[in-house]
Amino acid sequence: MDALAKAFPPGDFSLLAVIVCLPLIGAFVNGVFGKRLGKEAVRLMALSAVGISFLASIVAFLLLKQAQTGSDAVRFSWTAYEWLRVSGRHDIGSIPIQVAFSLDALNATMALVVTGVGFLIHLYSTKYMDTDPSFHRFFAYLNLFIFSMLVLILGDSLPVLFVGWEGVGLCSYLLIGFWFDDEKNAAAGKKAFIVNRIGDFGLLVAMALLAYHVGALDWVGIEGGRQNLLNPVKLWPIGNAVPLSNVLPAGAAEWLNTPRYATGASLVGFALFLGCAGKSAQIPLYVWLPDAMAGPTPVSALIHAATMVTAGVYLVCRMSAVFVLSPAVMFTMATVGALTALLAASIAFVQNDIKKVLAYSTVSQLGYMFLGVGVGAFSAGFFHVLTHAFFKACLFLGAGSVIYQMHKRIHDTDASQDMRNMGGMRKYMPYTFATFAAAWVAIIGFPGTSGFFSKDEILLKAYTNSIPSPIEGGKITQLTRQGEQTIMELFQWPTWGSKFLFALGILGAVMTAFYMSRLVFGIFWGDFKGWTIKKKWKEPAHDDHHHHAYDPTEKLEGPTPQESPWEMTLPLVVLGALSIGAGFLNAHVLHIHPLDNWLLPVFDSAAKNVTVAEGGTAFVLACGVSAFAIGTGGAYYVYMVEKGRPARSFVEQFPRLHQWAYNKWYVDEAYNEAVVESVVSLADTANQADKYVVDGIVAKLTAFVVQLAGSGLRLLQTGRVQAYAAMMVVGVGGLGWFLFSPHANAKTVGDASAGNYEVVAAPGFGYAYRWDADGDGNWDTENFGEQMRVNLAVERGETKTVRLQIKNAFGRIAERSVPVTRPKADLSPGGVTTIQVEQDPDGTVRGVVPGLNAPPRPRRDNAPTPARPTFRPVQPPLPPGQPGAGGPQ
Amino acid sequence: MNALGGFVEHYVLLASVLFTIGAVGFVARRNALVQLMSIELMLNAVNLLLVAYNRAHGEVMTGQLFAFFIIAVAAAEAAVGLAILLAFYRLNASVHSDEADALKH
Amino acid sequence: MSAGSILFAVAALLCIVGALATVLSKNPIRGAIGLLTTIVGIALLFLKLAAEFLAAIQLIVYAGAVVVLFVFVIMLLGPDAGSKETPPGKARFSRWFSAFGLVALSGTALYLLSRGQQTLTPLPAVTPDHGSTEAVGGLLFNHAIVPFELATALLIVAVVGAIAVARTKPRRRRAVPEGHEGRRLFGGPLHPRDAERPLVKEPAE
Repeated sequence: MDALAKAFPPGDFSLLAVIVCLPLIGAFVNGVFGKRLGKEAVRLMALSAVGISFLASIVAFLLLKQAQTGSDAVRFSWTAYEWLRVSGRHDIGSIPIQVAFSLDALNATMALVVTGVGFLIHLYSTKYMDTDPSFHRFFAYLNLFIFSMLVLILGDSLPVLFVGWEGVGLCSYLLIGFWFDDEKNAAAGKKAFIVNRIGDFGLLVAMALLAYHVGALDWVGIEGGRQNLLNPVKLWPIGNAVPLSNVLPAGAAEWLNTPRYATGASLVGFALFLGCAGKSAQIPLYVWLPDAMAGPTPVSALIHAATMVTAGVYLVCRMSAVFVLSPAVMFTMATVGALTALLAASIAFVQNDIKKVLAYSTVSQLGYMFLGVGVGAFSAGFFHVLTHAFFKACLFLGAGSVIYQMHKRIHDTDASQDMRNMGGMRKYMPYTFATFAAAWVAIIGFPGTSGFFSKDEILLKAYTNSIPSPIEGGKITQLTRQGEQTIMELFQWPTWGSKFLFALGILGAVMTAFYMSRLVFGIFWGDFKGWTIKKKWKEPAHDDHHHHAYDPTEKLEGPTPQESPWEMTLPLVVLGALSIGAGFLNAHVLHIHPLDNWLLPVFDSAAKNVTVAEGGTAFVLACGVSAFAIGTGGAYYVYMVEKGRPARSFVEQFPRLHQWAYNKWYVDEAYNEAVVESVVSLADTANQADKYVVDGIVAKLTAFVVQLAGSGLRLLQTGRVQAYAAMMVVGVGGLGWFLFSPHANAKTVGDASAGNYEVVAAPGFGYAYRWDADGDGNWDTENFGEQMRVNLAVERGETKTVRLQIKNAFGRIAERSVPVTRPKADLSPGGVTTIQVEQDPDGTVRGVVPGLNAPPRPRRDNAPTPARPTFRPVQPPLPPGQPGAGGPQ
Repeated sequence: MNALGGFVEHYVLLASVLFTIGAVGFVARRNALVQLMSIELMLNAVNLLLVAYNRAHGEVMTGQLFAFFIIAVAAAEAAVGLAILLAFYRLNASVHSDEADALKH
Repeated sequence: MSAGSILFAVAALLCIVGALATVLSKNPIRGAIGLLTTIVGIALLFLKLAAEFLAAIQLIVYAGAVVVLFVFVIMLLGPDAGSKETPPGKARFSRWFSAFGLVALSGTALYLLSRGQQTLTPLPAVTPDHGSTEAVGGLLFNHAIVPFELATALLIVAVVGAIAVARTKPRRRRAVPEGHEGRRLFGGPLHPRDAERPLVKEPAE
């Protein structure tokens, strides 16, 4: 261990390169050579790439654990090279963007999950995708995904994270549309990609805002300069007044022209949250995730449940120090999370496709995570990321195992995933059942399981936490001529906020327990409904079993469903065990919370901005347990005792409600009408404009004019060389005339500050010159000479006239007088600017122009940044809207 | 020294006459061979002028260098020009440059 | 009349007579001889202007190569090289307009020059090695080596280009306009004028 620690010093922790690059190599080899290498080699390459990456992650984690002894955050970093430099604000200078990776407690844990769960799912996929002709392509994508995800979580700055962010988006798109010959899958891939674009826009805006207001894009720099984000930023009106507002009634104009502000933190926070909502499927951008289940099931487990979709939560945790500066963003995030949890759960109630149920369940659980981080419980939210990765991956893989068996007889994607065709599977697939049940008890919050602890922690924090305003008094004032005026009031955490969020959370927990139990009872209990089981059934011989369509009315016969092979059950067993046991990483109820202690330094600065109320533990615990009991008990009564009769009668009673929920509240249709159709009609309008305005007026009119001119000029274009020669003779005549006439041209060059000017005559064919430099009306010399320039001194505000005569080779003479004026005011820079050169303690040399006093950039190392002046939030030092308003003097 | 050829102007006059003869020959004659020879005449006239002026300002020999390069270019021009003439003749069965009006059609 | 004056008079006469012969003769072979005469006259003038090297080059390149090339081409073309000036010819107006315009232009220019110039510029004495092969060679290789090498490249390109343009391509048999075999644009598409003519198979070569 010590040898390893010596080999990888914290400042140059190149083990990160091993972790990140191995999956990239795997992706390259499998993608480029995979077809020729064959299945065995592809399997070996893919598994070893991720497996070694996992082992390296464990080593890195242990090294970090060894190094992080006190409460200070330890960060291992490795810089590959400086990628580019962007210019920041004028007082900040350029911001280096380095391809750098760093490891701290947060992403070391996350890397373990990504590579560990990733490895298990790779192993599972080697069997699941066994018969697929594009085996190598699948593993190339999967390795590329692991690489991108590692870049995302290990990147040391937002631009590097963004590269990974886009990389996982790309892999997600490729893998959703993996079976792209089906139109539906390709469309789902496109949908995921396009919806994510909207979120990426937010992330890009956030980066630009951070670069401008903070002057840094790396984690240390952002955290060090975050106090600058408390400055108010003028949003409206753009410029000084709204154009044409003077034609409005006075009241309206005044209302319209009232300056409106937001703190930089709110702007950055909302932009970042838009990005997170896109990637982590929150309202309003959640619509892509359920469709993303069109990809192979291991992909759903890895990307769309365990890792990629939690990237948004990871980003919020990573930027927690920025988020807590804006209670408005935090409250929005928590509310959106809670509402997403409810909305997705309500849809999951009525779906029959087991992957759809799990997909909406994922959206719902992601909502829980946002509820957690939104109330400032970052480690609780992150803990739920962890447990969710285990139990949701287990659920998806278990569902995949069931689908794998169903698909052997029902060769139809939709029908083989329909839970109405399943039932009683616990007899046929014991391992799958046991592990699925383990994950199920975790997600419904059975006391003692991982899901119970993580959900309970989130609910507790929702009940107790609130985010106070980061600025005393909750308002920003400004000194004006009328005295001190309040220019903006900050958002205050509402008093009912905590109870409201808690109630939504409990309601979601009840619903989760209910629909997940419905799913499990439907798959594993009851009678098998897929086909009539014949003991010695043999599959009729056919070439391509995907060809003949599935007919739901046809009575199928088939063999007894089998358990899946070990490659598929082993990951299930591991993940099932983790689903049950991982809760003890952070069991606050039992006062065992190693994870919290481990993450404490990371969220240290954010935690100072979170208010935690006392008590409520027992109440929340009781509510959580009863939510589990009510939900599960209700499902047991409805689907086990009454065999689903209450559900059917409910549907008969409220058919419209069922219809709406089944069709996902018609959100897709609404988006289609509102967004897609408006874009289409905009495109139509543009098309019409192009056709009639551009083509009609611009193109046709231009063409007509050109044609007219052309038909005139065509008369000259005889096509005979002799005619052209004749025209050339005319041109030679013109040129001869120009040479024959003298041209007296002169230009003045000079120095206004010294008053020395020089008049220079233009040269020409056989030219001779004579001058009248003193302006007395007499020529300085009688004869023409070769002197081409004269010098003269001019006083301030004086005008002198120089006369010049030119005689050319034909003896013709031209004359010109050149006035030379020296301006009264001295426009040249006066004194010499002095630049003070200062040297920082770390050796950086800076030039400072006295009076401009640019504040230094936050530095990249771990040292605190004392050079930056502290910010006094109550009274902004400069009126906003002026240049440099963000930089405290 | 009032002799013929003792002043630059004599050469300028001679070169102008030669150049004008060449230029008129180039535009007035239809025979492409004669036109090419006219071009040579013009180039020679210019060479003469360059050398004469170089003689008048005799400190350097830049004018002679120029004339040297013009001779090189003239040789290249003659070779390519005659090759084009041959191709043209093969196309049109004629060396008359006023037959070269394919551009118009 | 000094010897130099006589030399100039003879050379100038040779030049003008040769130039007129070049431009006016009906038979191009006479034109070529006229060109040769002019070139010799100019070489004489070069000698008088202390440019021995150029005089030699003038004779070698012009008389030895260019005029010989002209004569070769005239021989290749045979009787077709002769200007059979079948009147009235095309673009007569342009041609005569250009000719008169040029004569008028240069005449006017000479007149204006002579009017503006009061004194003649004499030719000063020069050093003995002015224009000698040694001096020009030294200048060429010391100061003008890059243009010199570029000139060699130009000549190579010209030679290759001349071959490429003038060579007869081995042709496949194909349809040609009746009675106008070989009339194709560089062995390529039909001459537009022949689009309407009936096509026949080209005889095998």
